[in-house]
Amino acid sequence: MFDRPDILGMASAMAQNASVRLSAIARNVANADTPGYRAVDAPSFGEIYRSDGDFLLRTTRPGHLVSAAASGQTAAPRPGGHMSPNGNNVSLEGEMVAAADVRRDHDMALTIYKTSLGLLRASLGRR
Amino acid sequence: MSTFQNTLSVASSGMEAQAMRLRYISENIANTDTPGYHRKTAPFEAEVTGGNVSGRVRLGDAALDPADLARVYDPGNPLAGADGYYDGSNVDVVVEIADAREAQRSYEANLKLFDQARQMSQSLLDLLRR
Repeated sequence: MFDRPDILGMASAMAQNASVRLSAIARNVANADTPGYRAVDAPSFGEIYRSDGDFLLRTTRPGHLVSAAASGQTAAPRPGGHMSPNGNNVSLEGEMVAAADVRRDHDMALTIYKTSLGLLRASLGRR
Repeated sequence: MSTFQNTLSVASSGMEAQAMRLRYISENIANTDTPGYHRKTAPFEAEVTGGNVSGRVRLGDAALDPADLARVYDPGNPLAGADGYYDGSNVDVVVEIADAREAQRSYEANLKLFDQARQMSQSLLDLLRR
């Protein structure tokens, strides 16, 4: 009962993923005019979740949850993108769309976390 | 939380670089009619701290545009030579205005991300509230 519930670990991993992705987006936007800069991107939470077979819920020890979530989230060069004459492939429009996406994921994660805490509180009989 | 701080620092470095760029643009426009003035340009470059790229951006050293100066015909000017021409500046105001608009657009994008990172960390802290 008092083990860390899986859904809380998952929600915090999702929020963490959102902050890492926002960091990559900020890096791209700051370097939108730097010659020769290539846009970087961190994989979204859904991609990591699907690609890693023993990620989160399928691990046997709940203690592994957070470390598994934090690993493998580094920014890598993003393939494709329109290259401008100075060798920079950042698209401000694309970054803004990605930022909105990250905001939505983060809000969702925090809402899930808050609601789960509310459920726990209700089960303890407090309000 | 430290990721958010990194995001804020990167976005503010972007704003700083764009503001500096706008300063060079205004210097160029102010000197449009200065004889012999070469327009200033400054490259953006990735900031390197302790041997690795931090993700922050900074404006490099300003360089002078080597393009030819405009030849202005004004025999009454004290600077004019025997043929009545003197060297003006090589600033093209239209190019400068376009550059200024681009700087503004990039600045706003950085500001927007700064604001979003601030709001996201704020909502994270709001979890502590009941």
